[in-house]
Amino acid sequence: MAKKLKGVVRLQLAAGKANPAPPVGPALAGFGINIMAFCKEYNARTSNRVGDVIPAEISVYSDGSFTFILKSPPASILLKKAAGVEKGSAVPNREKVGKVTRAQVREIAEIKMKDTNAVDIEDAIRQVEGTARNMGITIVD
Amino acid sequence: MAEARWLEVSLLVNDELAEAVAEVLDRYVSQGVVMTREVKFNDAEDEGTPFGPVRVYGYIVIDENVEETRQKLEEALWHLGQIQPLPKPEYRPIEDQDWMTAWKEHYRPIPIGERLMILPIWLTMDSSDRIAVKIDPSMAFGTGTHPTTQLCLAMVEKFVKPHQRIIDVGCGSGILSIAALLLGARLALAVDIDPASVRSTQENASANGVLDQMEIGLGSVAEILRGQFTMRQAPVVLANILAPVIIRLFDAGLAELVQPGGLLILSGILLEQAPAVIDAGLAQGLVFMEQVSMGDWVALVLANPIS
Repeated sequence: MAKKLKGVVRLQLAAGKANPAPPVGPALAGFGINIMAFCKEYNARTSNRVGDVIPAEISVYSDGSFTFILKSPPASILLKKAAGVEKGSAVPNREKVGKVTRAQVREIAEIKMKDTNAVDIEDAIRQVEGTARNMGITIVD
Repeated sequence: MAEARWLEVSLLVNDELAEAVAEVLDRYVSQGVVMTREVKFNDAEDEGTPFGPVRVYGYIVIDENVEETRQKLEEALWHLGQIQPLPKPEYRPIEDQDWMTAWKEHYRPIPIGERLMILPIWLTMDSSDRIAVKIDPSMAFGTGTHPTTQLCLAMVEKFVKPHQRIIDVGCGSGILSIAALLLGARLALAVDIDPASVRSTQENASANGVLDQMEIGLGSVAEILRGQFTMRQAPVVLANILAPVIIRLFDAGLAELVQPGGLLILSGILLEQAPAVIDAGLAQGLVFMEQVSMGDWVALVLANPIS
């Protein structure tokens, strides 16, 4: 069929817990996406990873049909885990909340390489470093 | 009008900032964040490629704490903006809705040709002067709203004769096969290379009471020609895919599926692509019968002459 994309929507949700309330409802209703079909499928595919944030990238086609793929957890969550902190800094330019090593940044960049638009690992590292800086996480050697 | 219950906050940022902004929003909003991007088409074969900045959305419940939450969020964004410039967040009140049903507003009964009516599965027909094709819009293309689907359905209504067999290559939701069977065709072989489409075709066939007249499987032209299914040729073959894919399928033997004297109904073709598709069909010994269009899209009917 004449499958052309109408839009790409990325939802960062708690695994196994998608429901029609915001953000899922308003994000998907405007595209005519079958919300219950999405929630059911997302929850089934992520039910073994409850407790994690698993992004779903939804491709919406020109007639409202859709497919989606699961992505690796956001870099911000991987950075928080690596730094052992609960959340990013409220004042990242002044207060640093934790540290990660360059090796850890590289490890995260390698995970993210699969599903970012980074052209190579150096580009992916640069993106992860940017996220770390914006969260008040310092990178050390 | 229902009272707004949610405050939507969004920012349009570059790729690098999107994760950090999402992280900040996620601390203050309900149940996670959303990111959307525009789509561009690099060439005729491109299904669509995301490009440009990312819009990051979150939703705050409107309650007695909403102003405090908004203030905290703005402070956190201000600090983030000290590292890299950030646009101001945009706010929009969102009415509380029944999100379970709000998406259904996009679907209405669609009359096709003289006899067909595409009906979203949750609706029932008031009158019975048209044959209802019930479709559950979901994870397979072919909800009935796209011009190519409607063009193909009109050609199915015009050309499929009672008791005929049909082959549907790239069946998506199964809508074309199901319509053909409801119009009197006897058997349909529906194939798709996408497992979600195979599943969706089975569900829709069942909802329309034609599952026992269908063979539904994973595959394309090559698998049919290899004899993987019970049908290898039919008097009517349908392929609503995309022009470059149809041209490739001609090389794989698409024309061989049409029995002598039979018809090939094609769509997923933009107006300017039609000559190339017709040429590819003529090169396989088919003859041109008809072209119909709706907006930028066309459907073609080619015939396999009796030699």
